[in-house]
This record gives sequence, C-alpha cells and structure tokens, in this order.
Amino acid sequence: MCLGIPGRILEIRDDRGLMMGQVDFGGVRREVCLAYVADEVGPGDYVVVHVGFAISRVDESEARRTFEALREMSQLEELDWMREVAEQSLATVKESRP
Amino acid sequence: MKYLTEYRDGAVGRGLISRIRKAASRPWVLMEVCGGQTHTIVRQGLIELLDGAVEMIHGPGCPVCVTPLEQIDKALRLAADPGVIFTSFGDMLRVPGSECDLLQVRARGGQVRVVYSPLDALELAIRTPDKQVVFFAVGFETTAPANAMAVWRARQLGVRNFTILVSHVTVPPAMTAILSAPDNRVQAFLAAGHVCTVMGWTEYEPIAHRYKVPIIVTGFEPLDLLEGMYLAVRQLEAGRYEVENQYARAVRREGTVPARDLVARVFRLVDRKWRGIGEIPQSGLGLREEYADFDAEYRFGLGAVQVSEPAECRAGDVLRGRLKPYQCPAFGCRCTPEHPLGAPMVSSEGACAAYYNYGRFRQTPAEVSGG
Repeated sequence: MCLGIPGRILEIRDDRGLMMGQVDFGGVRREVCLAYVADEVGPGDYVVVHVGFAISRVDESEARRTFEALREMSQLEELDWMREVAEQSLATVKESRP
Repeated sequence: MKYLTEYRDGAVGRGLISRIRKAASRPWVLMEVCGGQTHTIVRQGLIELLDGAVEMIHGPGCPVCVTPLEQIDKALRLAADPGVIFTSFGDMLRVPGSECDLLQVRARGGQVRVVYSPLDALELAIRTPDKQVVFFAVGFETTAPANAMAVWRARQLGVRNFTILVSHVTVPPAMTAILSAPDNRVQAFLAAGHVCTVMGWTEYEPIAHRYKVPIIVTGFEPLDLLEGMYLAVRQLEAGRYEVENQYARAVRREGTVPARDLVARVFRLVDRKWRGIGEIPQSGLGLREEYADFDAEYRFGLGAVQVSEPAECRAGDVLRGRLKPYQCPAFGCRCTPEHPLGAPMVSSEGACAAYYNYGRFRQTPAEVSGG
C-alpha cells in the first residue's frame, strides 16, 4: 500500500467541497483526491499519489536537474574508467616490449 | 512515464555503483527504512552489484509486516460480523492472524472488500446505510493523510455507519529504537522518501545529530537509491552526520503542510506495538477523542484479545536486521508467499517476499563458514 506512484493531472473537479481530479499513470487513469496539493497544482502537473491521494507535487525542473547531475557524474566515471583502461594497456604494451 | 523511467537508466546506475565502490574505504552498514526501497534494491540486484562496498540492512518500514497481531485478530473478528462490511487495502488480506487470515474469513461468508482508497470505503458506507462499514487504517505517515481525510469527511457529511480500525505507525520513533539498541550496527539511514513528502525532514535532524548518523531522504527508483547510498557513504567517509535530501523533486523540508495539519487534527500520538519488535512508545497514531465515534474499537467494544504467534517465524529478527530472510530455517520451505508463516513473506513490501520473489538467497562465503 505504501508504494507511491507519480502521475500527471488531466482534469480537476470539485466534489462537494473536496478537490478531486483525473490522474494519468502511464495510460491508466484514476480518480485522485487533490485536496492536499490544491494550492500548488493544475492540469498537466505531476504528483506523487498514495492510496488515492496526491501527497506531493513533483517538481519537474528539480527532477531534470538531479538526473542531469547524475548523468554527468556517470559520464565522468566512464571517462575515468577509459583513462584507467588506456593507462593499463599502455603499461602492458611497455612491459611486453623486448 | 516522465520522471520515472529516467531514474532507471542502466548506464548512469553503473557509473554511480563505480563511484560508491571507489568512495567506500570500508563496508559501511546502511539501512533503507522503507519496504518499497527494499524491493527495488533486491529486485535490481543492487547488493550484488555493489559487491560488498556497503552492507544494506533492511528496515522495518513495511506497514503490513509491523501491524500487530492483536489488530489483525480484531480485524478478523469484525470481518466475521454479519452486520459489517470490512474494507482494507489488498495486501492485508493474506496476513496471518492467530488462527486464520481475512481471505479465509471471506471464504466462510464474511464480507471483506478490497479498496484502493479509504474514500472508496466511505463511499461504500454512504451507498449501504444498513451496514456498518469498517476500514482497516494501517500504514505509515504516507497513508495517514488519506485515512485522516476519510474520517474528517465522514464527519463533515454526517455518515454514521463508517468507522476505522486504526493501526498507524510512524517512522522516527522506530529509527530511534533501532539506534538505541545495544547491538545496533546501522551507521546511516536512507529515509523513506514518500514519508518525507508528507512530513518533511525536520523530525530527522535531532536524530542525525544525537546519534551521529547521516540520514539521506531517498526516493524509490534504482538511481535514487544508488545516489542515496553514495551521499551516505560520502558523509560517512567525511565524518559528517546531516540530513540530506536526495529526493528533491518530491520532498520539501516542511513536507506537505495541509496533509500534516489534517493528520494532526484527526490523530494523536499513542504508544504502539510493532509486530515482531514490541511496543515502541509514542510510535503510533490513534484517533483523537473528538473523532472517537469513528473508532471501530470504540464502536464495537473490542477489548483486549489473546494472540498466538507461530513460534517458528523469525520476522522480528528480520525486521530488526539481525537475520537475512534466507538465514531463517523456514524460508522458502515451510514459509512461502502461498503459505506464509509471518507477514514479511506476504506483503509486496516485506523483506522475506522480496528475497523469495527475486531469487536472492545465495549466501556469501563468509556467511556459509561463519554461520
């Protein structure tokens, strides 16, 4: 039950004073209570949904920033690895010379 | 889906693993609190990929696993009542009580229904005024706002045939209990990101400071977990112990304030028993007196119950990180997801089910020789 899933708000409506909405989870649509994030979301925004309730807005620019930072880090890691491999093979070449 | 699949990128994951392995001068012991995180870690084989750079101890953050047997037995009693429609999240149905589980009560004619949201249970109560509808309100701070809203809404709409059987627990007291245990080995926590979406992380700052442990608010995708581990290792190597937010795309320091506010208005802190662990003071939520009319224990006069736990189940040791699931003698033979002895083998968040379902039960040579 504790698994939160990010989904995109399609439309918002009022149900007897409670803010509800249709949320799309990669093609599956569900009715979700939006009351807790009412002040900060609109159609098109992403929210984390738990047991039918949006409990947080997903900040798209933050999501992009984190991912780019991770990707950059892993690319640097790959460069390091390539350098290590290159240095090792260079050393092997040197050693194997008569 | 946007902002989900990106965080499953294999190449970036390999880069992070290599970073962690380089950064760790010794095998640091980390605990991921949440069962959802345990499943990602075990399913993706992150432990094997990290190759001993860090040891992951799986935390007690599986609501199904820690719901005390007393509450399960009370649920079984209510579900057997012909005047009651008992509603629950699906993963509670197979949790073994003292004598049977909710599915078996249903097979004998009890009205047990699975709902996705507590608001669905409330809607059912509105549609069936001649029945008492009870909802099994379990979970951590992530489900508390939903359950608080269902009760608040029931009162607002004047619904008289809706109650909840409460068994809520909260994360920070459990972390404190783990850290204060004399045999504690945990050196840093990956805090449950979704709990923090609601609560923020201010509650964790005094814990990090008092016990000198880094606490990293961490998300649920493979890259989130790897980055959480990397941040934890980096702090440990530098001798720092701070609360750091890996899951910035969903978690703000103050959490989601309207959700916190309603939880505080409907619930109050109570002492709560954790299955397999025992009572932890002020670690649970119970309904406030103003909402007692919506408390199933009060409405149905449920008193104390006598319980019996199967002696063979070592769930308590698993939940406290003293035993890996595959080290339990019953694992995979007398205890399987089809015939579970204890809750961690049932739940989609339980550590035993994670190891069983993803086939991760190879022992390391040290474990084989050392026992």
